[in-house]
Amino acid sequence: MKLIEALKIVQAPPPAASRRLRLSLLCGFTSLHLQTFLAAHLRSRMPEYALEIKAGLFGDLIGNIERLSSSETDAVAVALEWSDLDPRLGIRRLGGWRPQQLSDIAVSAESAAKRLQHALEAASRDTTTIVSLPTLPLPPAFASRPLQSATQELQLHCIVAQLAESLAGCPGIRLLSPQKLAEISAPSVRYDIKSDLQTGFPYTLGHASAMGELMASLIEDRSPLKGLITDLDDTLWSGIVGEDGVDGISWNLDDHSQMHGVYQQLLSSLAAAGALIGVASKNDARIAAQAFERPDLLLSKEDIFPFEVHWEPKSESIRRILNTWNIAADAVVFIDDTPAEVAEVQAAFPGLTCRLFPKSDPAAIWTLLHELRDLFGKSVVTKEDLLRVRSIRNAAAWRDESGTVQTPSDEFLRSAEARISFDCGRSSADLRAFELVNKTNQFNLNGKRYAEQEWRQFFANPSSFLLTAAYDDKFGALGKVAVLMGTIDAGNVELRTWVMSCRAFSRRIEHQCLRYLFDELGAERVSFEYSPTDRNGPMRDFLTSVAGTSLDTSVTLAKEDFSNRAPQLFHRVEASVHA
Amino acid sequence: MRDQDERLIRCFESVFPALTQEEIESASSDSVGVWDSLSSVTLAAVIQEEFNVEIEPDALPDLDSFRAFRDYLSAR
Repeated sequence: MKLIEALKIVQAPPPAASRRLRLSLLCGFTSLHLQTFLAAHLRSRMPEYALEIKAGLFGDLIGNIERLSSSETDAVAVALEWSDLDPRLGIRRLGGWRPQQLSDIAVSAESAAKRLQHALEAASRDTTTIVSLPTLPLPPAFASRPLQSATQELQLHCIVAQLAESLAGCPGIRLLSPQKLAEISAPSVRYDIKSDLQTGFPYTLGHASAMGELMASLIEDRSPLKGLITDLDDTLWSGIVGEDGVDGISWNLDDHSQMHGVYQQLLSSLAAAGALIGVASKNDARIAAQAFERPDLLLSKEDIFPFEVHWEPKSESIRRILNTWNIAADAVVFIDDTPAEVAEVQAAFPGLTCRLFPKSDPAAIWTLLHELRDLFGKSVVTKEDLLRVRSIRNAAAWRDESGTVQTPSDEFLRSAEARISFDCGRSSADLRAFELVNKTNQFNLNGKRYAEQEWRQFFANPSSFLLTAAYDDKFGALGKVAVLMGTIDAGNVELRTWVMSCRAFSRRIEHQCLRYLFDELGAERVSFEYSPTDRNGPMRDFLTSVAGTSLDTSVTLAKEDFSNRAPQLFHRVEASVHA
Repeated sequence: MRDQDERLIRCFESVFPALTQEEIESASSDSVGVWDSLSSVTLAAVIQEEFNVEIEPDALPDLDSFRAFRDYLSAR
C-alpha cells in the first residue's frame, strides 16, 4: 500500500453506528507513517470499527507499556527495535562501540528485555497485545566483518530470542512472525537512515506498510476455517489406487511424489489442532479403505470423518459431509487435482473455498500448504479441539442409533448414560467458551459476538457469571458444548448470551442448563436477551416451547413455569463453582 | 507539466483533505492553518513516493508551498 492510499483510507469517515476500537501503538521512535499504515490496514480489514490510535512518548517504549491503562485501550501494538534495548544500538544516540562498551550494551539489553517482558506480560493480562521483535539491522558495531557473526551480536539475538520464547507462552500476546515479515519486506530495504536522522522515524515506507499490514492482521485475528475435504488419487497420494493398486500409489522421493507426503503431514497436523478432515473421492470404497491400512500413510484414518468414497458427483459428497459436520460451506476448503471436479463443486457451493491440487508443481503445492496453514492457523489449541472429530463421530452414532435428528424417545435418552459437567465462575480466561460464543449460529440467543476486550470487561462486573456445560454419554464425549453468560441479582438472572453447539442438539442439554440456573444458581426468574437472526431458528423454537408463548425481543421465564413445562431429564449432573 | 500538477494536487489532497483544488494551488504553510511540521514530513514522504524522488534534507525548509514543490519537481 502506498502512503497516499493509506491517507485516503484513513480520512474516509467511519460507518455510522460503528463499534469503537481503541488501539495503543507503542514504539520507541515516532510512530508517524507506521500509525497511518496500521490505521489504513485496520480500516480495510475491520471496516465496522471506528478507530482511535494513541501513540506513546518518544524514546520510552518500556515506560509507555508500563503506563498503559487497560480501561483506556482495547488492543496494544508494540514495535520493538534494537535501540529500545539499548539506545546505543541505534544511531540517534552516540555512546561508543569499543569491546567494553559492547559488553555493557549486552548487560543493559538483557536488563531492558526483562523489564520489557514483565511490562508486556502485565499488559497482556487485560489487553490483546501484538508484539513485533526488532526488524531493523544491528549497526556495524562489532569487530568481525559483517558477514561473520560476532559473539556480542549473537548474545543480543539470544536475548531477543529468550524474550520471544517467554512472550509466546502468554495467552494474550501475539508475536509477529519474522519469517512472514521477511516475505513481504526484505530486510535490506527496511531501514531509512535519512528519515531516522531527520524525523526519528526509521522505517522505509514499504516496511512501514508491511508492518502495518501484519500488525492489523494479528489484531483482527480472524476465525480459522473449520473443515477440509480432500480428494485421494493424485492428491492425498500420487497415482490412481483403483488402477495402480494399494502398493502402486506413493508419496516418496524415489517416485518423485514426496509432496503428497508433505500434504499428508500438513493434514495430520491440522487434524491434531482440531480441523475436521473429510474425504470426497470417486473410487471403489473397498480399495480406498485398503490404502488407509498402509502403515506409512502419514494421515491416520482416525483423523478423517466422514469418508465419501463412491461414484456419485463430488458435490453430493460435499453436501453429505457438510451435513455430517453441520457447518456452513464458507468454513470449509475443498481440494482436488481435477479442474472439472473443482468447478463442479464450486458451482454447487459458491461459498466453499475450492483449490486445485497442483500435483505436478512442488512449488505451487508448497504455496498451497502455506495458504492452508494461514486459513486454519490458531493461536491456542484447546482441549475441545482435540476432541472434535471424535465428538462428530459420536454425534453421528447418536443420530444413527436414536433414528432421528429431532426428538429421541425418553427410553433412548435414559439409556444414553449422559453426563453433564457444569462449570460456573466469573473468569474470562476460558478460551473454548470465547470461541464457542463467537462462532455458534444456530442455537444462539441473539448472535452477539464479543471482542476480547469486551469479553474481559463483561466479567469485571461482580454480578456476572459464565456457565459452561460439557457433555458425554455412552457414545463418547462431546466436550464443552454450551455457554451461558449473564448477571444475577436478587434471584433475577439476565441472560445476555447463550450458545450451544449444534452437535449437542436433541439431548435436552438446554433444559438442564435452565434447571441449573433455577436450582443451583438460585434464579427465580430468567430474562433472555433474545433477538432473532437469520440462523437462530433452533433457539427461537426452544424458547417458544419453554416460554409457552410467541417471542418478542425480551422473554422472561419463571422457575415455576419452567418446572411445569420441562421434559423429564436423565443426565447425571456434576458441577464446579469458582469465585 | 499538467500531469505533474495533477499528481501533486493528489498528494496535497491526501495530506490536506479539507482544501479545494484552488486552495491547494495557492497553499502555503502560512495560509494553511493545519500545515505543521508533521504534515510537512508526511507531505514530503507522499511526494517522494509518488514521484519516486529523494528530496534533499537541505531543500525541505524551503518547500513550504504548493508552488515551491512544483518548482522543485520541475527543476529535477
